[in-house]
Parts: sequence; C-alpha cells; structure tokens
Amino acid sequence: MSALLSMQAVRGGYGDADILQGVSITVASREIVVIVGPNGAGKSTAMKAVFGLLNVRGGKILFDGDDITGWVPNRIVKRGICYVPQVDNVFREMTVHENFEMGAFLRKGELGAAYDRVYALFPDLKAKRKALAGDLSGGQRQMVAMGRALMLDPKLLLLDEPTAGLSPKYMEQIFTITRDVRDSGVSIMLVEQHAKQALAFCDRGYVLATGANRHEGSGAALLADREVAQMFLGG
Amino acid sequence: MTLIDFINFHIVPGVVLGSIYAVGAIGITMVFGILRFAHLAHGDLATMGAFVALSAIGLFGVSPWIALPIAMIVCAAIAIGLDKTFYDYLRDRPKILTVMASLGVALMLRSLVQVIWGVDSTTYQRGIVRPDDYFGILLRDRELYTLLAVAAIVIGLETFLRKSKWGKAMRAMSDNPDLARLSGVDNRHVTMLTWAIVGALCAAAGFLLGLNNELNSMMGWHLLLPMFAAAILGGVGRVEGALLGGLIVGIAEELSVLILPGQYKAATAFVILLLILLVRPRGLLNGKVL
Repeated sequence: MSALLSMQAVRGGYGDADILQGVSITVASREIVVIVGPNGAGKSTAMKAVFGLLNVRGGKILFDGDDITGWVPNRIVKRGICYVPQVDNVFREMTVHENFEMGAFLRKGELGAAYDRVYALFPDLKAKRKALAGDLSGGQRQMVAMGRALMLDPKLLLLDEPTAGLSPKYMEQIFTITRDVRDSGVSIMLVEQHAKQALAFCDRGYVLATGANRHEGSGAALLADREVAQMFLGG
Repeated sequence: MTLIDFINFHIVPGVVLGSIYAVGAIGITMVFGILRFAHLAHGDLATMGAFVALSAIGLFGVSPWIALPIAMIVCAAIAIGLDKTFYDYLRDRPKILTVMASLGVALMLRSLVQVIWGVDSTTYQRGIVRPDDYFGILLRDRELYTLLAVAAIVIGLETFLRKSKWGKAMRAMSDNPDLARLSGVDNRHVTMLTWAIVGALCAAAGFLLGLNNELNSMMGWHLLLPMFAAAILGGVGRVEGALLGGLIVGIAEELSVLILPGQYKAATAFVILLLILLVRPRGLLNGKVL
C-alpha cells in the first residue's frame, strides 16, 4: 500500500509554542484513518497541519508525490485535499445547492456529475436542495458540509469531529456515509471524540497524546489494546 | 385631509425619498456584511457621484439619465482607489481603525467636492415641473423615473447576487468568510468587486437625491444618518432589509411633519436608529449582530 499522505515527525503550533511534538501519520489511498486521543492531544491540530493552517517547524508533509509542507490552504485545496471544519462548516444563509456550488468554486466546466455524486451520497438532501443550510438539523448540516468538500473531487478528505453533538442515529449515518465516500475513491482522515465507535468503523487508527504518537494499528487491534482501552474507552 | 391628499403629500414623497435612502443603505449593508466595518465616507462618496454626474451633463451635454451610468462607473473606480490607497493597509488591524479612516476619507472627499464644484447649491434641471396625474396619484416624471431606476438597480443587484458565480462568492464571504476562503474564494477579488458595486450605488443615491432635491457639498453627509438607520433597521448584511429599511425611514420622515415641526424631520432617522438598537438589534430581517 503506497501512502497518499505521509506526515513525518511533524512539529509545530499556532503561535510560538509547539503543540505537535513530532506526529507521524500516513493515509493510504481508499483508507479511513481515525485519530483519537484525550483532550489537548493535538488531534485537530495535526489535521490542521495537513491543511496548512499551522506553523510547521519540523518534519515533512508529503501528499501524492509532493512536499506540501508550508503550502497555503488555497494551493492545498487545488492539489486535492478538502477540509471540513468542526464548527461553522456551512454557509447558513445559502441553500444546500448553493453550498455545493461554493464547494466547486475552483472547478471549471460541467458540474452535473459532481452534483449527481453528492446527491447520491446524501439522498436526504435532494429534497432539501432549496432549503437554507442554517435551517437544517445538525446531522443534515454535517452532510452539507461533507458534500461541499466533496464537490472539488478531492483525493483526501479531512473531517474534524464530524459527529460532535449529533445523536447516535446521525452518528451511525455519518459513519456509513463516510464509508460510502471511501468506496467512491476518496481517502479520509478523521478526528473523533467518540473513540470506541470510530475505531470500530475505521480502517486504521492513531492514538495521540500530548502532541505525539502513542499507539497505532488497525481499529480492531487498538480496540483490543488494554492500554488504549484504559485511556479512553472507559476501562 | 382626504386619503388621496395624504398619499400625495406624505406617502409619495416618503417612498421616493425612502427609495433613495435604500440605494445608499444597500451599499452600507454590503460593506458591513462583507468587509465588516461601518463606512462613514459613504455619504460623501454619494455627493461626489452627484457632482460627477453634474459635470458629465455640463461637459458632454448629455441628459441626466446618461450621466447616471457615467457617474456610477467613475465612483466605482474611486471606491476601488480609496480601498487600495487607504483601507487596504488596515485590513488586518482592528476594524475601528478602518471606520476612523473612512471618516477621514469622508472629509477629504467633501473638501475635494468643495474645491472642484464650490459650496453653492445647484440643480440638474431648472424650472418647475408639474406632476402628472396617475389615477389620482400625483407623480413628477423625475419621481417616477427615480422609482423605476431604484427598482432596476435592486433587481439587477439581487439577480447578480443570487445567480452569478461571483455574486454567490460575495454572499459566501458575508456569510462565513473562513469557509469561503477554504473553498478557494479569493478575498481580494471579492473586496474589489464589493467596492465597485458600493461605489456605483453611492453615485446612484447621490444622483437621485440631487435630481429630486438639489446638489450641495453637504448633501451626502446629511444622507449618512438615514442610510445607516435604514441599513440597521433592515438587518445588517441584508440587501432586502436595506430596501425595506430605506422605505420605512423615508416614509417615517415624511410622516413626522404631521406631528413635529419640519426642522425635526432629520431627527426621525435618529429615533428609528435608537429604537431598533434597543428593541431588535438584529434588525427586521435578522441581520448580523454588530
């Protein structure tokens, strides 16, 4: 398995202090990789480093043959990585369809196939295409956010806590859709609070603690690991 | 007073004045929504537009309605120039600095108008125009054309914002600037486009006020308070809100003379502004909280 994304001993932070103290994560193509860890472990920060939202002071980030360390987000988007922030991830005063259109802002040419794809992934949204994104439920808003990011046809999708604040029913649905997205040819890097459920559905997982790698392995292996279980899975 | 008199003496002038306020307020609400500051040079840019139209009429001998698009284009260019010369340097600083800078720009623009065109009042067309009778409603040609021009501007702008790619990008930037940037929208393009539209709207507001009233170097400054009242009343960031707010402020000003001496007409906008900030700061159509 060749790595699509490879973070190698990345150090960095928002200001002068390093939040990441050497994080190494790889994502292969068509793989769902979950990052879990206690609060303040640097999960979201590691994801933001990939997207160029961090001052990276050490290590390298390679993506699909390019060294993207230090690139600005705009360039990273064009290269094929899309990012769905945890909060404020839709245009509330625009319709569902307009949100998708904004997602494809950088794309030229015919978009019919791209719309068909997102509406096929999120059939619930088809009936709501003219509704304002701000009027939707939390779960549907999360789908709009994912759909918006998929409009650019990225190779890698970064999801920052997509199930935060959602009911278990919607959490299941988001995980199912995430699998469908993977099966349509997109790699996914996902940060999760719901460690147990996330590890159960992912391909591989990383456990971070205090800004560094602690454990890694297949989801099932991590779930079976006693130390990991003690760390977050409630003993 | 009969109903038709009431309509002719208060409602009609109120709607005409209000539609002019609306054109100005739409510009203010767009600067607020997309660039996130209160643009205090808005009124004086409108004055500039009114006088540019006057010069276009004088120099080329064209009718006022040909002078309007010329003034809109000139003011669009001036607005972009002001942004590049002054506001651009303050983009990443606290917004209050840009607000204060815009006050300075307002004074500069006004002085420039006074240097070029003098301080005396003037008009586009001389003479008294008798209103025409439309089923009992009395409308002067210029009033009718003002309403039609405002309708055309609002419909044109709404269509642009709803249908075009860059119009949507402007709405996206107003709605969620971080996400707009993540989607690859170039902030500088949107800023320039916003100033072009805002400058053109300023010129239109100044021209229409001059057409229905008179031109003088303070006309735009006096427009500032009712325009801000209209923008905030409608809900900051909402084009439809600014239209509604403009009409309400205009009609309220014309109705105020029924109970207040005429000199206090201008205070009406101030009262409306205070009331809306006290009671419903998001405005009638749920704009952004300032």
